[in-house]
Amino acid sequence: MSKNRKIAISAALLGLAVMFVAVMIYQSRKVTVLEVGIFAGSNWDVANANSYVIIDKAIEKFEATHENVKVHYYSGIRKESYSEWLSRQVLLGKEPDVFMVLGEDFNQFAEIGIMKDLEQLMENDPDFDQNCYYATTLQAGQYGGRQYALPYETVPILMFVNKSLLNREGIAVPDNDWTWEDLYRISQKVTKDRDGDGLLDQFGTYNYNWMSAVYSNGAKLFDENGTESYFNDERVTEAVRFAKEITELNRTQKVTKDDFDSGNVAFMPLPFTEYRIYKTYPYKIKKYTKFQWDCITLPAGKDGGNTSDINTLLMGISNHTNQEQLAWEFLKLLTYDEEIQMDLFRYSQGVSVLKQVTCSRETEEILQEDMEKNEKFIDNKLVSDVIENGVVTPKFPKYADAVIMADNEINRMIEDDDNIDNSMRILQRQIGKYLRR
Amino acid sequence: MQNVKLRDVRIIMMAVNFIAVLFVSVFIAATTDWICYRYEARDFLDTLHALPVQPRMNVVIVLVLYLFLTGVFIAQEKFRENQTGKIYISLVLEFVISTVIVVVINFNYNGLFFLVFTGAIYYAKGDRGKYLVICLALISFLLTDSKLLSINYNLYSINDYFSFYDATIQQYLVGAYNLLISLNIILFIIYCILMIQQQRGTIDEVNMLYEEIRKTNEDLENANSQLKEYAKITERMGETRERNRLAREIHDTLGHTLTGISVGIDACIATVEMAPAETKAHLERISDVARNGLLDIRRSVNELKPDALERLSLESAITKMITDMKSITDMQIFFDCRIRQLKFDEDEESAIYRVIQESLTNAMRHGKASRVRIVMERQEDMVVLTINDNGIGCSEIKKGFGTQHIMERIGMLNGTVEFRSDNGFSVIARIPIRWGEGYD
Repeated sequence: MSKNRKIAISAALLGLAVMFVAVMIYQSRKVTVLEVGIFAGSNWDVANANSYVIIDKAIEKFEATHENVKVHYYSGIRKESYSEWLSRQVLLGKEPDVFMVLGEDFNQFAEIGIMKDLEQLMENDPDFDQNCYYATTLQAGQYGGRQYALPYETVPILMFVNKSLLNREGIAVPDNDWTWEDLYRISQKVTKDRDGDGLLDQFGTYNYNWMSAVYSNGAKLFDENGTESYFNDERVTEAVRFAKEITELNRTQKVTKDDFDSGNVAFMPLPFTEYRIYKTYPYKIKKYTKFQWDCITLPAGKDGGNTSDINTLLMGISNHTNQEQLAWEFLKLLTYDEEIQMDLFRYSQGVSVLKQVTCSRETEEILQEDMEKNEKFIDNKLVSDVIENGVVTPKFPKYADAVIMADNEINRMIEDDDNIDNSMRILQRQIGKYLRR
Repeated sequence: MQNVKLRDVRIIMMAVNFIAVLFVSVFIAATTDWICYRYEARDFLDTLHALPVQPRMNVVIVLVLYLFLTGVFIAQEKFRENQTGKIYISLVLEFVISTVIVVVINFNYNGLFFLVFTGAIYYAKGDRGKYLVICLALISFLLTDSKLLSINYNLYSINDYFSFYDATIQQYLVGAYNLLISLNIILFIIYCILMIQQQRGTIDEVNMLYEEIRKTNEDLENANSQLKEYAKITERMGETRERNRLAREIHDTLGHTLTGISVGIDACIATVEMAPAETKAHLERISDVARNGLLDIRRSVNELKPDALERLSLESAITKMITDMKSITDMQIFFDCRIRQLKFDEDEESAIYRVIQESLTNAMRHGKASRVRIVMERQEDMVVLTINDNGIGCSEIKKGFGTQHIMERIGMLNGTVEFRSDNGFSVIARIPIRWGEGYD
């Protein structure tokens, strides 16, 4: 009896051991699939023929160092439908392990717990130093003081300058430390009726937004948590007044994109991507061909610098991923690997989020390649500065709606309101009320 | 659980909770699919505060867990009241499974706690225990309210999924959802009421039984005292009757005689000087009357003490009985008394006399005997009375042949009786006699 029992126990133990070994072998041979969610084309709505070059390279690199791991992504999802596609996957609980997240989605996705809180992963990784990123780009991936996404690619806003127009008017292209006064002076000078039909046909600015003025005047509109707004701040009011003055130079006429494309506008704020795209062949023959142009920083206000808001494409990890470590490593490869980040300058139009990459000699050379010999080029150090000092819009759920409210009201003020101070105080009350609700 | 009504309410609650839990999980899964089908996922996400990880998986998890819960419920029904260990385990298991289900559906339905607590209420001891469990159920229900919890935790709300539909459909959905919640609460209240009622019922029943016993007890006591009273009355009545008889007897005999005597003596007084001879004859007559009267009184007293024993010694009484018996039958009876002096107590004498009388009657009537021998002798301190006849005897000594009577009589004196039927019929009685001093 006891002998039989001994045999039975030994047999059971042996069976368990065999099963354990089998499971181990199976596990070690099993191919783990890491899902990645990315969209085709550029985040900044410019043509991009090399949509998947960087990701394919990254996957190749990743799979080479990770045995039994396959990285998979659905190709062909366009940026316009990416948000909906990702939302559907999220609703069904099938979201990818690592995915790009659009700026307008980030707040809500972080809020409802779709994104993984990366703080722990960042802390536990000895090879990871968050100081390598531009602080402003890192800040874009923060929600409620926690890091939910890492920056992948960033784009600052720059000022397009119509060099031909300025030459014609005998004005030098402003330096990168120019101010509001310079902008106003030049705009005043170039705004005129050239053909004498009684209507203005040459303008100083197109699309120079009150918000650009706010950002370059060292002011901010909201606090981090979206509980406070600062519309009655003197610097904000000043910016709005300046935007109004600039607009009023055009009298009652509306400046259009067409005016700029025809070479009749001196300045227009545009993202860095536009600059990259239309400075290079073949796109340079498609747009802005009637005049010579360049890019400089935005003019500084009295209390601010030559800064603008920066737009950062973020990538995060699903909160429900089963492959946390793999996902983290892949995310790190895309956002932290200098080789991959350098490729952004080669195959994309944005700027790397790593300081070292953006400031490197290689980057300078890549940017240089685009230029015609005699042209002044935008310096990568300058771009780096703009990003470093860039303004990151706060992340809270009501942000988008609050900005629309403010934008409508301020645009109305700019058009027909002489008592800006008073109107701004009223606006401050309204927005405050909305935020508290 | 024995109570059928309570069990039925519980079964209905199980069904309602199943529908509610399924409603929540299936509705959320189906709405998710519908939203994806309509390409409105991004806009819908904006209306959410949290979302289930995998809506379809939740349906499966909820179904499996509910199956387990049902299994535990069925097992619990089968347990007996005294299997406290098993019942306790099953209650804890129910609570754990329900909590997991409620967490999986993110507290969008927490009426499950009411269902779980029905069991606890049933098994809780005493009124206090039951009220305590009811309070616990209410507290669990209130604390797991999804709106309350969503202050501190990110929970998805079924209301967000309701609001995806247009107003009319929303109304129906919210209505159905609230109906299920209310129905469950109503069932829980019914259960509690039934439970309390049942408990009241048991107490009433016990009280009623107690009252009945008390009443019966009282009745019995009454009857007992009545009986005592009655016995007293009966005894007194017996005495009265006896006294009446004596009075009548005395009146009839003594009164009559004494009247005659006194009248006769009066006459004699009148005539004694004038006619002494006549008076003498008269007195002789009075003497006869008096003698007759005396006889009458004797007869009367005899009637009161009907046996010859009263008048005669045991031996002569026996002899007289034998003589009487001989005069009416042709049976030969021999009486051999080997005890020289017969001097017994009254009850002993009576018993011996009766045993002989009974045996003779039996021998004559049942045994058809022609000869009977009666031997009375002393063996140590016993009197052994042997009555042997030459009759047919009997194969089986039957009661009712006077034998019972004999046994009783001897038994009263702590003696033994033996009946034999081998040679005619024999009665052998052994009586321990209280021999007084001066005997033998």
